[in-house]
Amino acid sequence: MTMAHVRAGTDTWDELLAPDGTPRDAARALLDQLATLEHSELQERQTLAELDILTMGITFTVYSDGRGIDRAWPFDIIPRVIAASEWRQVEEGLKQRLKAINMFIDDLYHDQRIIADGVFPAELLEHSKNFRPECVGANPVHGVWAHISGSDLVRDADGTMYVLEDNLRVPSGVSYVLENRAISKRVFADLFAQQSILPVDSYTDELNRMLTSIAPDGITNPTIAVLTPGVYNSAYFEHSFLAQRLGAVLVEGADLVVGEDDCVYMRTISGLERVHVIYRRIDDEFLDPEAFRPDSALGVPGLMRSWRAGNVAIANAPGAGVADDKVVYAWVPDIIRYYLGEEPMLANVPTYRCHYPEELAYVIEHIDQLVVKPANESGGYGLLIGDRATRSELDAHIALIEADPRNWVAQPILSLSTVPTLCDGEIESRHVDLRPFILSGASSYVTAGGLTRVALRKGSLVVNSSQGGGSKDTWIVETD
Amino acid sequence: MLLSRVADSLYWGARYLERAEDTARIVRSYTELVIDLPTSALSTWEPLLAVAGSSVLFEQQHEGTIGELPIVRYLVADQHNPGSISSSVESARENLRTTREIIPREAWQTVNDLYLYVGSNAAGGVERRSRARFLGHLIGECQQLDGVMTTVMNRDEAYELWRLGQSLERADMTTRVVGVRAAALLAAERRKAEGDAIADIHDDVQWMGLLRSVSALQMYQRATRGPIDGAAAVRFLLLDPTFPRSVASCATRIREALSRLPRSRRTLPVMDELERVLAASASGDDDGASLDAAMEDVQAALAAINDVVHEAFVRSSV
Repeated sequence: MTMAHVRAGTDTWDELLAPDGTPRDAARALLDQLATLEHSELQERQTLAELDILTMGITFTVYSDGRGIDRAWPFDIIPRVIAASEWRQVEEGLKQRLKAINMFIDDLYHDQRIIADGVFPAELLEHSKNFRPECVGANPVHGVWAHISGSDLVRDADGTMYVLEDNLRVPSGVSYVLENRAISKRVFADLFAQQSILPVDSYTDELNRMLTSIAPDGITNPTIAVLTPGVYNSAYFEHSFLAQRLGAVLVEGADLVVGEDDCVYMRTISGLERVHVIYRRIDDEFLDPEAFRPDSALGVPGLMRSWRAGNVAIANAPGAGVADDKVVYAWVPDIIRYYLGEEPMLANVPTYRCHYPEELAYVIEHIDQLVVKPANESGGYGLLIGDRATRSELDAHIALIEADPRNWVAQPILSLSTVPTLCDGEIESRHVDLRPFILSGASSYVTAGGLTRVALRKGSLVVNSSQGGGSKDTWIVETD
Repeated sequence: MLLSRVADSLYWGARYLERAEDTARIVRSYTELVIDLPTSALSTWEPLLAVAGSSVLFEQQHEGTIGELPIVRYLVADQHNPGSISSSVESARENLRTTREIIPREAWQTVNDLYLYVGSNAAGGVERRSRARFLGHLIGECQQLDGVMTTVMNRDEAYELWRLGQSLERADMTTRVVGVRAAALLAAERRKAEGDAIADIHDDVQWMGLLRSVSALQMYQRATRGPIDGAAAVRFLLLDPTFPRSVASCATRIREALSRLPRSRRTLPVMDELERVLAASASGDDDGASLDAAMEDVQAALAAINDVVHEAFVRSSV
């Protein structure tokens, strides 16, 4: 089967095919293999992969009509391929970025030098929904706040890789990176034998090492717990998966209790047992009803007290979300220059901040050429793509923006790159993004590749699994 | 280290799966029995409901319809019957969903497969022509799961909780079979012996069916090497230490599991009580009424163990 007919127009970059339709270097072995397969054989491999997903119980949960429905994880067997030489640069760029962001967060909760030096505007911090006064003066180990982050990358028509956003609160998806690989190793077993594709499986070991490195009082063999909102959370599958791979205990808030000694314990069949490190997968506001939302049944009363006393490590640290904000995003290049004295190695998408009247005016005037995003939503909610919206949709969004300008940013519409994808038995090009995961503790680590999300609807740019997105395995291939 | 919440889920996951498997065995063997017997000898499907402990609920939901298909449907595929095979499998999966990082991955896959299989085949498994295949497949999957747990899982607290739930449920189901069907058969045999002019009940065939419903026929025959005798069959099901589904074997495993779990001292009194009533159950007359009463005592002792387990492992850490 040949791919010649699937090329998108010249205004889009394809990850596997050069503009003349020949394979890119790193994708050559894959495309050669695909060329030997009949249509029906390819479809058969896709069907088998889907069957694996169903029986392995790889699911995510979609909420509709107040009911959670478990859906099989959508996966396309044709992988996205990146040359290892390119990936090494992305990796360095991400490490640089997270190093600076962590220094920024630590600064905001201490001396706020960056504001005093006039680099970051004070009024932005005052209006930040994710700045937590409860965290001021706290000293997480190594000065690291965002231990686990997932930065979304996209590639524009000219081939430039941009960071689209940094997810510093509770980014999800990494389990699917590992599961996608497990499945594609079955689907393309022959190819894995022939070429050098970097493994992804070591992630959970690295995560374990990082979580151990942030344990209180230098404990070398800490008890680690993954804190989940419970089985009805859309990412429960991942929480369970990670706990299992980490050898950690998967706990819900009600399983934990803070003792009179301000240490955290879990309720076991033998009584209470101390917990040293919590990898939490619930949002700040739900962590501790004593400190944040009093109506939260998901959290643990007294947890913040214990954390501030240094008796338990929490990853990501409470308050880390202050830098996960589409407004702060616009300052990341300045943040890198300020703390590290280096130029950013990865590009930021030019971002208009509606906070500033002149940029607001520009956004309103050019809204049909921009992507408009609320600053503090995730999962693609509230996002508007200007050139695909009707006039009345645009006007409705303008009203929302004018009502709360600080909460909105806008960016030029990038043309997301594409990857050939099996759609109803035909191969067509579909838009993708990429979410690598970055670990920061005593040292830092970036996944080999990450989660490639694909917009399965023709022409769509929305890759979120809750809104019709699927996923692909990501191969980092050594070409030499 | 085992969280109390997870302990509870493992225990109930194991109980529900065992319940589904045992119900499948009972329905399968009863169907075979009915097909074997002349129509005059056995025309009722109600004992099946009684064994499954579902008579009252069924009567509440069904007026006057007590034929084969409504009863089998109720026990196999009815979502409104919390004890049906499909409800049990669903409850097992709901419980085990929160133990995925504890049980072997293959075990979860088997539970998930089973759930998918029951979801799409249970309704079709009601009809006689497809019933044996459906139930057989289900039993096979349960045995596969048991194999995975036995061969792959660490012998830790989680494993003991699993065995505990499984053995308790199995003991309970065996006492139901004995309490309802064996008691009825013994009573009928006695009336026949006393000269009551009742139709031939084909008791040998019925005893075979009863043994089969806990997969005990072949093992009984190997152990006794003689024709089937009702009182001997009852003793085999209750007390035989070599047959793994006998109540005595289950009690041994329950005691073992409890002794390997923390706070085992608290559970000793109820465990002793179970063994006492079990021993007493065999000493009564071979008539139906006293056997039925004795089985109720055993079931009460099992329920007391259930309560103590909950108290010791789940509630006390709250």
